[in-house]
Amino acid sequence: MKYLGFIFVFLLTIAIGYLGSIPLGPAPPIVPLLDPNHGFWQQTKSEDELAEEEVSLENLLNPVKVSYDENLIPHVFAKNEEDLYRVQGYVTAQHRLWQMEFQTMAAAGRISEIVGPIALELDRMTRRKGLGYGAELGLKFLEENDQETLRFLEAYADGVNQYIDQLTEARVPVEYKILNYRPEHWSAYKSILLLKYMSDMLVGDKDLEFSNLRKILGEELLNKLFPDFPLDNDPIIEAEHVWDFQPIPISKPDSINFPNDELVIDPLPQPEEGTGSNNWAVSGSKTKNGYPILANDPHLSLNLPSLWFSMQLSTPEYSVKGATLPGALGVISGFNENIAWGVTNATKDARDWYKITFRDKSRSTYRYGDEWRKTEFRVEEIKVKGEKTYLDTVVYTHYGPVVYDRTFRGERQDANFALKWTVHEGSNEQRTFLMLNRSKNHEDYNAALDNFTAPAQNFAFASKSGDVAMRVQGKFALKWPEQGKFFMDGADPRMEWQQYIPNDQNPSTLNPERGFVSSANQHPVAQSYPYYVFDNSYEHYRNRRLNNRLREMNNITVEDMKALQFDDYYLHAAEALPVMVSLLGEPSGLSEKASQFLKEVKGWDLYADPNQKGPTIFYLWWNETYNQIWSDLSNLNVSVVRPNNYQTTLLMKTEPESTVFDLKNTPTKEVAKDHVKKGFELMVSKLESWVNEEGDYSWANYKKTTIQHLVPQFTAFSVVNVYTGGGRGMLNATSERHGASWRMVVELGDEIKAFGIYPGGQSGNPGSKFYSNFIPKWANGEYLDFGLRNENQESTLLFETTFTPVK
Amino acid sequence: MKFFGYLVVTILVVVFVNPFIPYWGIMVLLFLFALILKPGNSAAFWGGGFGLALSWIGLSLFLTIDSGSDLPNKMAQILGAPSGTVLVAVTGVIGFLLGALSSLSGNLFRNLVKRRPTDIYRG
Repeated sequence: MKYLGFIFVFLLTIAIGYLGSIPLGPAPPIVPLLDPNHGFWQQTKSEDELAEEEVSLENLLNPVKVSYDENLIPHVFAKNEEDLYRVQGYVTAQHRLWQMEFQTMAAAGRISEIVGPIALELDRMTRRKGLGYGAELGLKFLEENDQETLRFLEAYADGVNQYIDQLTEARVPVEYKILNYRPEHWSAYKSILLLKYMSDMLVGDKDLEFSNLRKILGEELLNKLFPDFPLDNDPIIEAEHVWDFQPIPISKPDSINFPNDELVIDPLPQPEEGTGSNNWAVSGSKTKNGYPILANDPHLSLNLPSLWFSMQLSTPEYSVKGATLPGALGVISGFNENIAWGVTNATKDARDWYKITFRDKSRSTYRYGDEWRKTEFRVEEIKVKGEKTYLDTVVYTHYGPVVYDRTFRGERQDANFALKWTVHEGSNEQRTFLMLNRSKNHEDYNAALDNFTAPAQNFAFASKSGDVAMRVQGKFALKWPEQGKFFMDGADPRMEWQQYIPNDQNPSTLNPERGFVSSANQHPVAQSYPYYVFDNSYEHYRNRRLNNRLREMNNITVEDMKALQFDDYYLHAAEALPVMVSLLGEPSGLSEKASQFLKEVKGWDLYADPNQKGPTIFYLWWNETYNQIWSDLSNLNVSVVRPNNYQTTLLMKTEPESTVFDLKNTPTKEVAKDHVKKGFELMVSKLESWVNEEGDYSWANYKKTTIQHLVPQFTAFSVVNVYTGGGRGMLNATSERHGASWRMVVELGDEIKAFGIYPGGQSGNPGSKFYSNFIPKWANGEYLDFGLRNENQESTLLFETTFTPVK
Repeated sequence: MKFFGYLVVTILVVVFVNPFIPYWGIMVLLFLFALILKPGNSAAFWGGGFGLALSWIGLSLFLTIDSGSDLPNKMAQILGAPSGTVLVAVTGVIGFLLGALSSLSGNLFRNLVKRRPTDIYRG
């Protein structure tokens, strides 16, 4: 009996102890998670409680001091750059380890390793696009051409790894504990991969959609609905700019044929609408203090932990401060004692698709002109949690990888298209930022930019010496008109990119007469630029609002520029609403609610402030009207794009009776007025039911801006329903899930004055008080003081850590 | 009295050793302590159980209150528990089970070892 009793209790003990240590279904091992000495309870501590005065670090040449200000922004003071980047790696990992690793896992197509087969399709897609392939070439490029950058990347990786190696179970970030995996070592390759991932986030193409549209609409209607240049083109480089170079001659080959198939495959995932950015610089002649002011606000997906991590990086030669990307070296958008710079996305159809004609089913050769070229096979090994490794073979042509084929989403046997993308070429984006960080003037800035390939960016620049400049930088293929707008035939060598636009012929401007430079993802140039420029996603509203304001403003102060970043004037509404109201006329027999909505939207001042009802009514009315107008295009069973808001509004205004408004499947002939009326009815019924369910329909309440944790299922780690204004197409571009992921204003006077904010916090730990503490300020358009800090500054000091070399 | 004595021993073990070893290490230690100290089945069960439960509840409450962090409530949401307070309770219950069973096992084992000589006594 005694034996039985013991055996029973003992086995029960073992069983409970064991069951607590293993994952049960999707749940993480419960006891390690709850053990307050090691589990998630440890993440309730904030960084200031965990501050260490001294950390010894291997491979360090000199001691490095890190001072944290009251916002947990680290200021790194190193004697040389190698130490600087080693400590940047360590410090970034200290605060953002899970995020930086998770993002590179996503970039490498390795999410299945963490979450299992649910992410397999996503991982296959990531890999078939060739991000990893591009990063390998990037690393090779550094090995062959740039030992210095490689050395810094390795120092950074070593810093990250020394942090990982000393990590105790208690300090492991909570996401690892919940998802039940542990960090692995960092490497230079991962930093490069992260920068490739940025390309993937920011670059899209609509080749598939335009190929289909061309077939469905015909050339003439296509060009009417999708003109290459809008009527009110207000480009990045001022329209009157004179191009002082001899263009390389290029012309469209004769009798060229685009593949004419109608394609029912799904397009590649595209960057979300609303990813865009603003930057501008005003010269001293327009400012109150006579100093240049630069502003930048990149709009990206609003996420926690924030995409950005603020830092100051100082050596005896320079001090640079601003927003860093966890995983990449240096500051990405920021300033130093002499210059400031900011980035916006400069998309220009950087991806093209070539139809590949394989000789036979082995896919080992494909036609190119008169010859058969050899393909290469790259086997992607995708580890899947809880299952066996998935092997995916991707065929590579000289154009690039064949993304869709018979094993992947190709519903048609012959839907074999190769992706041509500058990401697949060796390049050195990291060097651009390292050089910008230490730049002193316009020349240094230009030299830094020469290294930049992808994703193409508009680099705004201002210097203490009084210069303002803008340059659209990327590696742009020199294309003949319409090259790459549609799918192309990979067997015809004339379809191939022949060369690139030389860096010094990329659109750029220095100190233009108008006294400012600006960009907001619009067309880069006026039609006078000698090369073909096309992209479907150019902005038509933020740019005009921005330039209109900058043209009329004088005696500009830093406060004015902050206000402009937060400006929520709804230019699209300003242009479309009068047209809609006049087309609607004076409808009779409106319900009480409908009259109220109409009255409210008519009386609205066109600013999308959070408490306004007008933007909600307009937004819904516009969307319903727009959907009505283009319903023929939406009901096709192939992928297409629909004309943009700008072109649609223009057609409604100038040709309201045009046949473009007629729906082919109805017996009646529709005109713009019919769609506006129908849209109004639909808006009223939608808004009424929304009000019944949700109540108050003021803009912030309707839009429900959410800053989402990188694992969307972790809603508790997200911040939902942020009370803030703005929206798509407005300078304050804060929509439901996108918006200013970083706002910065810098005045380049004798003493640099800088202000910045981002929707998040410096800590990556959801339990920390520094995790989301910037959000209320950000939502109100407030800023943090981002001035440069001295090594021995006492004010607003939270704590200091000294990194000492291991003796 | 044995209950309080063993309770104190358990709490000391958890407070001083648990920060450096995982929970299963504590289970092994409690098994050994019960085996050596032979507190009796009841004192081992209740003392070991409450000892581990109280120290875990105490530490999780201390961490929550001291930091003012909302993390326990957020974790509760992710794990499907009603609130962070419930998580404190769950932590306590699990601590109790682990502490009680480990100690009781140790004590029962000791009983086996102790009895054996009387069983084989031939005098």
